[in-house]
Amino acid sequence: MSVSKVLMPKLSEAMETGKIIKWLKKEGDRIQAGDILAEVETDKADVEMEAFGGGVLRKILMPAGSTVPVGSLIGVIAEPDEDIAALTSGAPPAPAAAPAPAAAAATEMASRPAAVPPQPRREDPAARTPSPASGPTAPARVASAPAAAPAPAARPAAVVRPAAVASSPAPGDGGRLKASPLARKIAAQSGVDLQVIQGSGPGGRIVRRDVEAASSAPAARAVAPAVAPGVEFEERPLSQIRAIIAKRMPLSKAPVPHFYVSSEVAMDRGFTLREELNALEGQPKISFNDLVLRACALALLEHPGVNASFQGESIRVYHVAHIGIAVALEDGLITPVLRDVQAKSLGQIALEARDLAERARQRKLRAAEMSGATFSISNLGMFDVTEFSAIINPPEGAILAVGSVRKVPVVTADGLGVGRRMMLTLSCDHRVMDGAMGARFLQDVKRLLEEPLRLLV
Amino acid sequence: MAKKFDVVVVGSGPGGYVSAIRCAQLGLGVAVVEDDRPGGVCLNWGCIPTKALLCNAEVLNLVQHAGDFGIAVGEVRADYAQAVQRSRGVADRMAKGVEFLFRKNKVTLFPGTGTLKNPRTVEVKGAAGAETLEAARAVVLATGSKPRSLPGVSIDEKLVISSNGAVRNESRPASIIVIGAGAVGVEFADIYAAYGTQVTLLEALPRVLPIEDEDASTLITRLFGRRGITIKTGVKVSAVKPGGPGAIVETDGGRFEAQQVLMAVGRGARTDGIGLEAAGVQMERGYVKVSPTMETSAKGVYAIGDMAGAPLLAHKAMAEGVVAAEAIAGQHPRPIDYGNVPSCTYCRPQVASIGASEAKAKENGRGVMVGKFPFTASGKAVALGETDGFVKVVADKATGEILGVHIVGPEATEIIHEFAVGRTLEATLEEIMHTIHAHPTLSEAALEATLAALGQAIHI
Repeated sequence: MSVSKVLMPKLSEAMETGKIIKWLKKEGDRIQAGDILAEVETDKADVEMEAFGGGVLRKILMPAGSTVPVGSLIGVIAEPDEDIAALTSGAPPAPAAAPAPAAAAATEMASRPAAVPPQPRREDPAARTPSPASGPTAPARVASAPAAAPAPAARPAAVVRPAAVASSPAPGDGGRLKASPLARKIAAQSGVDLQVIQGSGPGGRIVRRDVEAASSAPAARAVAPAVAPGVEFEERPLSQIRAIIAKRMPLSKAPVPHFYVSSEVAMDRGFTLREELNALEGQPKISFNDLVLRACALALLEHPGVNASFQGESIRVYHVAHIGIAVALEDGLITPVLRDVQAKSLGQIALEARDLAERARQRKLRAAEMSGATFSISNLGMFDVTEFSAIINPPEGAILAVGSVRKVPVVTADGLGVGRRMMLTLSCDHRVMDGAMGARFLQDVKRLLEEPLRLLV
Repeated sequence: MAKKFDVVVVGSGPGGYVSAIRCAQLGLGVAVVEDDRPGGVCLNWGCIPTKALLCNAEVLNLVQHAGDFGIAVGEVRADYAQAVQRSRGVADRMAKGVEFLFRKNKVTLFPGTGTLKNPRTVEVKGAAGAETLEAARAVVLATGSKPRSLPGVSIDEKLVISSNGAVRNESRPASIIVIGAGAVGVEFADIYAAYGTQVTLLEALPRVLPIEDEDASTLITRLFGRRGITIKTGVKVSAVKPGGPGAIVETDGGRFEAQQVLMAVGRGARTDGIGLEAAGVQMERGYVKVSPTMETSAKGVYAIGDMAGAPLLAHKAMAEGVVAAEAIAGQHPRPIDYGNVPSCTYCRPQVASIGASEAKAKENGRGVMVGKFPFTASGKAVALGETDGFVKVVADKATGEILGVHIVGPEATEIIHEFAVGRTLEATLEEIMHTIHAHPTLSEAALEATLAALGQAIHI
């Protein structure tokens, strides 16, 4: 058996650091593949981290509470008799490592004077190359890997279930972060996100004092202190989620040319249908939003041009409707993704959407549930908002803003009556679609909701 | 008729001449007033001539130990007067270098004593008469420091000499009492002892080189003791009077006699007669009070170097000179990090340090890790036959921040800069660790001490 490394997994596109909330296994515990090792807090949610390989959890390198960059070595799983000194002396190598060296190379390494172990590089975990011979024990480790095989030893020992994480690039994440080594270490230890710090060093380099100033600010989730009389304002530090929103939304609003189309939908029949459905015994309760979800999924299949993403040189058109549902949290907003909505019944949608929203509020979402949306819906109806427009969440091409269902006077054939109406506003990426495309899609959504039996067939 | 310049710099020591040149580089018209040779104490009476004397002491030591290298040299005769003459030659050459730099940068030198009449006017009184200089932009005061003495003891440069006298005197006493075991006292003790003078080194604080890490003090005490230098620490001098072979020094730890006494208890700002009051320049604890850009309480009047406060070091003065020049030129210079100024003593073996001592770091409440590597384990040091000393690294346990480095040994004053750069860049021990150091070099000891702090030293 080879030694396997437990690395901080990348659980979302924007994730650069993860905080270990707690270790569910302790040093010395025997681990089966699939066991939950630890809980990790990302910028978006708390995630369970699963063991990839089996063995004994020999060493926990990063205690609960530490925030570490993606790809950092946080623990080691190995058999009890294996020497893991080379790993535990501070050498987290790359998650994406090169094939194991051939036997000749291993021998050569063994004869080299011991070198110092490599150090994690924050900027670009994926580009790291493994460093050979990190201490006297390294050759043994290398030798235990099957020669010339793609190195299983270099595979991360932990993955997140389900493993598939959509990999559409988040915009604006490519730039190198300028920070001194000391600033990086203090940030990692104090859980400060360097992304949200303004550097005061040469060329905007983040130096120690910047991190210390940021970490000495009161904790993000601290209970708001009673406001002293005469105090006109207070500085509240950004929570990690707020910081991400602050960073990403301008990256949407500025470079993505938004346009908006609105339409009023008669929800009288939808209202009645919902009443009837919810009167059925043993069936899940359906919300208006579930109706909208179903309507959008069906309409997206008819209008793939709206279910699309701008890719620079091309437009990626999706044939599935993975719909992000914006969920308000106390300190921000999160968009869990309901996948393959086109293939789901209203009842299924209701159940799954509720589950996602609840787990989003508890920060218990898995990574795959937070990424890969092809379209999003934001509903502020519960706040009695009549209508609003939303900011597109790149790389998606559109987002639908849903208002409340309200009783309004309507003109009927007989005169004036009372009707239930709902405002929909579609924000569209003009690079992907034009006004007419958005309008036709919205028209279809409107028709599906106004003739809601279509949602059932 | 007043002569007009953008900037008038009073004093041309390492602070003044650097500031003048930097001002000129930034396009300002600069006058420099100097009452001695250009270069100040540093070039003429301090750093440079003492380094020349110390080099003589080192050559003498090497020749005396030529046998260790299998080289027979016969009778060795060391002429101290020639050592001092060589030292003067070195100082002259460096002073001429400053004059050359002034000409090259079109800085006008006014020999004489400069006095502020108001924040924009400096009056120069020299052999050639009086001149009035008007500074359109700023006046930079850089008049340096002068040796201090103890209360009731006057420095006559005969019986009681200062470093100024010591560096000039072509004769050396048969015995000398050096009062003060800071860098100046320790360096002259080294020079005199090498040439055969019986040296007694007195220090009021509990150890020699009291600002250095205790390990450095302990080692220098032991090595100096081995060379026959008498060291008494924790003794307070109560009186210095003529008698015995020349002078008698009375202390609370006994009476000491020698032909001469070298007063090396420190230096004080040289501010008399330069018109601080006229310009409204305030003092603070014996030094001129300055802002982070070296501006005094009088707008447009800057003060740099020794007169602006500790540490009284040429390299700190030069850095301040640049900051002042750039501030005057309207730039936004980076303020000096006074916690990151190397401290160097050029005795044999050399002592160099940066940052906090181990004790100080602990006192500051830092959890520290300490790595120490002796030069006895350095291949290069053994080959040189200079194995006395060590590199000691003090780092923060949690982050690996380099809190302080203390080096005793060959070329310690050169090796220290690796850590100075590292600290400026906020490198941690890991970055030093991952830096390949050439083999064989003395600097490998820096790497090994770093590894030792991390528990990974290879060669010890």
